[in-house]
Amino acid sequence: MKKIKIYQSVFLVLLVFFTHACVEQIDIETLTFEDVLVVEAIITNELKHQEIKLSRSIKFENEEPIYESNAEVKIIDDSNTYFFKEVSEGKYLSIEEFNAQPNRNYQLLITTKNGKSYVSKEVELTTVTQIDEVYASREIDGFGNEGISIFVDSYDPKNNSKYYRYEYEETYKIIAPYWSPFDMVVVDDRYIVKKLKTKEEKTCYNSLISNTIIQTETTGLTDDRVSKFEVRFIPRNDPIISHRYSIMVKQYVQSLDAYSYYKTLNKLSGGSGNIFSQNQPGFFNGNIFSKDNIEEKVIGFFEAASVSSKRIFFDYYDFFPEEALPPYFIECELFAPSTTMDAGDPSLLMELLKAGKVKYYMKNPNYPNPQNENEGKYYVVEAPCGDCTELGTNIKPDFWVD
Amino acid sequence: MKKIILLTIFLSVNFAYTQKGMETISISFDNTKKIDVIKKIESLSNYHFYFLEDWIDEALISENFNNVTLRTILNGIFSETNINYYFIGDYKIILTNNNVIHDVLPIGYFNIKKTKIGEGNKPIFYSENKSTTKKGIETIRIGKENKNSNEKSFILSGIIKNSLTKEPIPDLVIMANSKKINTVTDRKGQYRIKLPIGINLLEFKSLGIENLKKRIIIYSNGIANFYLEENPELLDEVVIDADRDKNVRQAVTGLTQIKVKNIKTIPLVLGERDVLKVATTMPGISKAGEGSSGYNVRGGKTDQNLFLLDDAVIYNPTHFFGIFSALNPYTSGDLNIYKGNIPAEYGGRLSSVFDINTKNANSEKFSGEGGIGPVTSNLMLNIPVVKNKSAMIVGARGTYSDWLLKSLDDESLNNSEASFYDVVLKYNHKINDNNNIETTGYYSKDNFSITSDSIYSYSNRLFSLNWNHKFNEKNKAELILVNSEYQYNIGFEGNSTNNFDFGYKINETEAKINIQSSLNENHIFDYGISSKLYNNEPGKMQPKDSESIIEQTTVPKERALESAIYISDNYKISENLVLNAGFRYTQYAFLGETSQRVYIDDLPKNDATVIDTLHYSNNEIAKTYGGPEFRASVRYSFSPTFSVKASYNKNYQFIHTLSNNTTASPTDTWKLSDLNIKPQQANQFAIGIYKNIENNDNIELSIEGYYKQSKNILDYKVGADLLLNEAIEREIIQGDGKAYGVEFLIKKPKGKLNGWLGYTYSRSLIKFDSEFTEETVNSGDFFPSNYDKPHDISMVLNYKLTKRYSFSANFVYQTGRPVTYPIGNYIYNGSEYVFYSNRNEYRIPDYYRLDLGINIEGNHKIKKLAHSFWNISVYNVLGRNNPYSVFFVTENGEIKAYQSSIFSVPVPTITYNFRF
Repeated sequence: MKKIKIYQSVFLVLLVFFTHACVEQIDIETLTFEDVLVVEAIITNELKHQEIKLSRSIKFENEEPIYESNAEVKIIDDSNTYFFKEVSEGKYLSIEEFNAQPNRNYQLLITTKNGKSYVSKEVELTTVTQIDEVYASREIDGFGNEGISIFVDSYDPKNNSKYYRYEYEETYKIIAPYWSPFDMVVVDDRYIVKKLKTKEEKTCYNSLISNTIIQTETTGLTDDRVSKFEVRFIPRNDPIISHRYSIMVKQYVQSLDAYSYYKTLNKLSGGSGNIFSQNQPGFFNGNIFSKDNIEEKVIGFFEAASVSSKRIFFDYYDFFPEEALPPYFIECELFAPSTTMDAGDPSLLMELLKAGKVKYYMKNPNYPNPQNENEGKYYVVEAPCGDCTELGTNIKPDFWVD
Repeated sequence: MKKIILLTIFLSVNFAYTQKGMETISISFDNTKKIDVIKKIESLSNYHFYFLEDWIDEALISENFNNVTLRTILNGIFSETNINYYFIGDYKIILTNNNVIHDVLPIGYFNIKKTKIGEGNKPIFYSENKSTTKKGIETIRIGKENKNSNEKSFILSGIIKNSLTKEPIPDLVIMANSKKINTVTDRKGQYRIKLPIGINLLEFKSLGIENLKKRIIIYSNGIANFYLEENPELLDEVVIDADRDKNVRQAVTGLTQIKVKNIKTIPLVLGERDVLKVATTMPGISKAGEGSSGYNVRGGKTDQNLFLLDDAVIYNPTHFFGIFSALNPYTSGDLNIYKGNIPAEYGGRLSSVFDINTKNANSEKFSGEGGIGPVTSNLMLNIPVVKNKSAMIVGARGTYSDWLLKSLDDESLNNSEASFYDVVLKYNHKINDNNNIETTGYYSKDNFSITSDSIYSYSNRLFSLNWNHKFNEKNKAELILVNSEYQYNIGFEGNSTNNFDFGYKINETEAKINIQSSLNENHIFDYGISSKLYNNEPGKMQPKDSESIIEQTTVPKERALESAIYISDNYKISENLVLNAGFRYTQYAFLGETSQRVYIDDLPKNDATVIDTLHYSNNEIAKTYGGPEFRASVRYSFSPTFSVKASYNKNYQFIHTLSNNTTASPTDTWKLSDLNIKPQQANQFAIGIYKNIENNDNIELSIEGYYKQSKNILDYKVGADLLLNEAIEREIIQGDGKAYGVEFLIKKPKGKLNGWLGYTYSRSLIKFDSEFTEETVNSGDFFPSNYDKPHDISMVLNYKLTKRYSFSANFVYQTGRPVTYPIGNYIYNGSEYVFYSNRNEYRIPDYYRLDLGINIEGNHKIKKLAHSFWNISVYNVLGRNNPYSVFFVTENGEIKAYQSSIFSVPVPTITYNFRF
């Protein structure tokens, strides 16, 4: 983003001299769109139904992903063939559970429904290195914001791992601040009925998966030791840490090739745009190629990565005892919509209830309010403030420990 | 000498002359004028002298003659003069100036004999007749005719100066006898021309100088200095190559010459005359776009040009993102751009040499020149120090945009800042006729702040010393010492804890001895030796304050020594055939202290292939490169106005810019060749045809074609990180380049309508092939380089309405340059990413622009404080929204495309210039 600013400001300067310079956003229509196969394929040392995702590149004008269905997918190693089956659009699972073994060469073979064949280079399982520890700590980030950092420590005494990539899945507890045991429903478009809630709406859980590329390497260090590497920073005003928070960090040990591929991918996404990250754009190949046409572009990298994961939990008060909670996800304000029905038309409250936009909170003690005739009988609040299922699920995850 | 005496000699002379003058006379005189001596002889004898008193100089002579013949006395008196004497009739003596009166016809006068006779001993019968002589051609006599001489030709030399300013006039063409013989004055206005004995008609031509003809009657080597008058329309003409027929005559191919004073009428942008901008209107020289500071010459990268200001390298010759050139137009003399055959004395860059000279100061008269424009002001002063010995020229230029920005209400603008200035000072000192010293100091500085949290600045500093020594007429030497430094800094100061200063610096020092020896008329040797030390500080980042959490990072310094020895011979094989053969041997040594990584041969350089790190101590040679470079060109003239030339050129380059911007930017860093980065090399073949059509308005036509191959051209792996990267070799790939093109140029240097039209068709392709995908670009095929612009048309026209008003226009068209476009999205790992086309698969839209200007001269009253003119110009009259670049940013998971353009509406400018 800074890049744009650079230009803008330079040109603004020039503007002073009766000139008109501009940086303008332009609509790019895909010039010559190339329909390219995208392969997401990581097999790990976990015994499971290994997963491979196939999709196609998307035109800029389109927003929906396009999945590659009905492909034949298999992985071969020195002696076995593992077949995959499409379980949902573009998602293929191995028919049998298996785990990648060290010192074997794995190769991915894909034949798409239009008959084109693709093959990956052979890969080997990377060194298995366990996460030593995942821990949270109250820190200040580079921009001066206070928050919680999630750190990871890992150590490979054999000095073979070197390249690490992390993913995480975070789960947090949500407590609706304006929860009431009562619910209010509209019956027959005419009556408002107050009743006890039938489902859990006060405490919920939500999980998110990381979607950025988080990598570190230990080359240049005397030990193959990942030490206090930050995989996640949560500003203290982020509502997700208001109550209890859990994060599971997954560590993938990558090969140099895979590491480089992800690193390039990350750089080109322009994540940290400043003059220190001017990058050479261009197409870059992974390790999957078309069998029929070597020049055909294929996106994606097939890797056999060892994985190790660890989960931690913490509460807000563990780090910020006696301090105010972060603000809720949305701003919650009580208000009393009109309950008056005009000529048989539903009242404003009815309409809001029917649309699911608000939740009942309490009776309006000021009703009827002579100063404001539009004020209704009940105080309501925006739905997510009174019903946490708007923001998560009310089913406690199996791993959850209070 | 207004009345020119008639010297028609009749053949009916008395053959008895030999007896005359044999009488003996005794005479003595002491401190007597010659004229009185003659009168005394007349009184002592019966002889009468016939002569014009003008001829006899005022010198006083003392002599004692005792009983000697009159001939002996006359020989004595006139020995040091141009006077010849002739006895005729009874006691009559005719004195003649220069001429010998011949009493016998030369053999062959009536073509009786067909034997070839040298012209040397042919008497010159020259009769001047008013009806056949154009008024105003002065006749100058050099030396005295000597009957016994057998010389066929003599050397005339001298200095030509401007009669008004007393400054020497360089690059003035002197043509004798309808251009069969010609020469050009050097930087100091000196010339040397070999003329056949007798009458020669010399024509003097130069831009801004009134054409002049002189009749020279030469009988011996001699000196003639001339003062020529300025043409009153001095600056009106837009002419590049002022020197008539020089294009046809010179042996080198691909030479463009621009005289700064002649570019006045080219429309300006923001009021600055810009010599480099004019250069880009010439075939083969282009810029990536407005707002880019690099120049591409004949399909070469922007780092392949050697910019020399008085022999010192200028690393960044532009201000403010390349919108202005960093060269002061008032102090700059001329600019020679060698894009084809680079003289052997230059080396180290593949594509071109931009040789920029600062004017020599005039030691006789104080003068100045200035300009006031909307963005910058500029002043040049010429200050004599010791009359006829030393003088200096000072030029300074600066912006006042800062003040403008600060006075604005708009908050986003008054936090911005953009300013620059440059100062140049040249001092020339004449120690004696054989020794001259010229020294130049130059400093330029740019500051700009484009976001409120960061301040950028860069500066060029250079110093040059040139000692010129003339051993004799045939041998001259120059000792050159230069030092240049370029640096830039980025200061980042946000509100947070990551404030930093980033700095980059390169410094080079060179010593060079250059000798020119004229063996004879046919061989002129240039040879010398040079050595250059580079000190490169690739980058340093340090915390700006104690709160900053930025860690200090310094990429280790680099040092290298680049030395060369060279010789070239300008060999005139015949009148029509000239060969310029040059040889240069370059040796490059990368010096310690340094640590160099060693990688497994033939594998991509990365973490996994490092096998060792070698350490070298201070001044230890870590790696050497080098080799012979041949430079040759040949010219064959079919006629004085038609020639064909061909050249071959080889170059090495050991220093490379790291820039993955398409365009050069002030934040590019330089990298020296080391263990892992090989020098770039290029071979260029060029051929050209040059034809001048002569009538009242000379028209010059030329076509040049070239083919250039290069090796080890630098490019970057996709996603390369260049700044503060210690292991930069891992991001770099080196491959092959090829470029070819044809350049057409039609130029009309004179007349009411003058200007030029250039068209270039060229391609510039590069190739990176390897068995490893990370080192392969576009499947290892040749693909267009970032600056491949096949079609390039430039037109500069100037129409002189009256002596005071002239109109000019400038039109440019270029094919849009190649670009790597994102061609689609995909989802990976839960995020949306863009994927790109093959490298440089697409092009941005074509570039075209029309500029118009009017020049209004002040009146030509002689007694006036200052001579002034106004220039009003409109840049980009068509308001074309030329995309300078197209770029893409991922914002909140969405891809957005931006196009930037700099001047998308017409930009009017008015500038006031003055001279005193």
